Amino acid sequence: MILFLVLGSIYGNPGSPDQAVTQNSASYFLPGLTAAFIMTNGVIGLTNFSSELKRDRVLRRLSATPLTKLEWLLGNILSQTVLALALGAIMLTLGIVLFNVSVLINAYSVALLFLGVLLFSGVGMSLAGLVKDPEAAAGLGNIIAFPMMLLSGTFWPISSMPSSLQTVAQALPLTYLADGLRNSMFSADFAAFTDLVVVAVFAMVLVLLGAKFMPWKES
Amino acid sequence: MKRYDGVAAVDGVSFEVQKGEIFALLGPNGAGKTTAIEMLECIRQPTAGSVKVLGHSVAASQGANEIKKKTGVLPQKFSALGRLTVAENLEFFAGMYGTSVDAMGLLDLLGIRDKAKVRFANLSGRLKQRVGFAAALVNDPELIFLDEPTTGLDPESTRTTWKVIRDLHAKGKTIILTTHYIDEAEQLADRIGILYKGKIIALGTPVELLGKFGGGKTAVFRKGGDAVFGTLRRFFDTVSMDGSDVVLPFDRLRDLEVALAALVDRGLEVEVALRSPTIENVFLKLTGLKISESGEAN
Repeated sequence: MILFLVLGSIYGNPGSPDQAVTQNSASYFLPGLTAAFIMTNGVIGLTNFSSELKRDRVLRRLSATPLTKLEWLLGNILSQTVLALALGAIMLTLGIVLFNVSVLINAYSVALLFLGVLLFSGVGMSLAGLVKDPEAAAGLGNIIAFPMMLLSGTFWPISSMPSSLQTVAQALPLTYLADGLRNSMFSADFAAFTDLVVVAVFAMVLVLLGAKFMPWKES
Repeated sequence: MKRYDGVAAVDGVSFEVQKGEIFALLGPNGAGKTTAIEMLECIRQPTAGSVKVLGHSVAASQGANEIKKKTGVLPQKFSALGRLTVAENLEFFAGMYGTSVDAMGLLDLLGIRDKAKVRFANLSGRLKQRVGFAAALVNDPELIFLDEPTTGLDPESTRTTWKVIRDLHAKGKTIILTTHYIDEAEQLADRIGILYKGKIIALGTPVELLGKFGGGKTAVFRKGGDAVFGTLRRFFDTVSMDGSDVVLPFDRLRDLEVALAALVDRGLEVEVALRSPTIENVFLKLTGLKISESGEAN
């Protein structure tokens, strides 16, 4: 959020007479940062949370209650969704109040938000389950999250990067989530559809991997 | 039975626990106590064999779910959500059963009411274990599993824990606990299963175990030395020295009478102590080993 304010004011300079530039850059950062937050919440936040609970054997203790593995997975996804919605709402409010952006909220952006949560919750669950040591899992989460944030068009357009990095960007799910949110929140035509499909496929695969590898009891 | 990579962790462990009883699985470290109790808790699948708890098979997921609703579990090194308070953690655990909980009442029972608003992460290991005991009771379970409930506790905490266990027993709860403390099993349990190298090597009430494997009573002649030993040796092959103490196992009072008469004849004045066998003697008799304070068999 602070990032959003800083970036918004540097690039947008709200005091300048050129209101169009302000709106443009703010409307570039708003969806990009929202997508990046969803990503870091899953890949870093959920990874840390789950692997600590695994290390301390809290999950094992929970598995001795009637709580099922599926319920635990859904509970985590739900809490990530609430977090994403809250963050999204705050970002939107800031964007509207401070930078005067005009935003479209439609089925695409809501669906993208939710699919993004699924996708990155899947990554977090998989990391926590597959990497034994919680510190290693946290480190790996950071190693995945930060380059992805830099390469997926969160801070600058992908088209401004060297072509080799553009190829990398095209393989990263965050690229499509950020792009999809930008397209759905600011354009009336639904260029977001392709992004939505790509994010949905990524989400399906990763949430299944997460369900398979998530830490629970040993069998 | 439970196998890991072909090695049987527990094998041929067969016992039944009656409703309302305290059953202790007693054994040294590595005997398979935790493996055995975790199979009953439905968090570990047996490789072979059948396990039924409260009439349900642990192998069927429906059965396991029914068991989990009616049981409470205290693991070794209990941990919970560090950022929540003690009371919030109890409410969290109660939520898993879809019930509400009188957190204060439970904390009173465990003697830690004053910790209700402390964050779980800030508690000592000893207090965390008490919260774990409270968490095992949030669903008012019929059957309670306690895995080494007093390991690492100071004597006062151990006494508190024993009192809670006895109170639960008095309320008709069934309790299955594991321990490597012989006195704990002897003090608390209605029946004891001695677990050694993955097998139950003896099973029964403390009285039954002592009768079968305890051996007879012993008389100890304190600081009797060679004079006492020499005198008794003429009458008994079984007499032995333990430092300067002379130890005489005996079955009948008649033996003791003979021994005392011989000593009086010789004018040997010595302090005499009588010892009854304990479960420690039972374990020694069965395995040739003693269980140390830290749970090692040697």
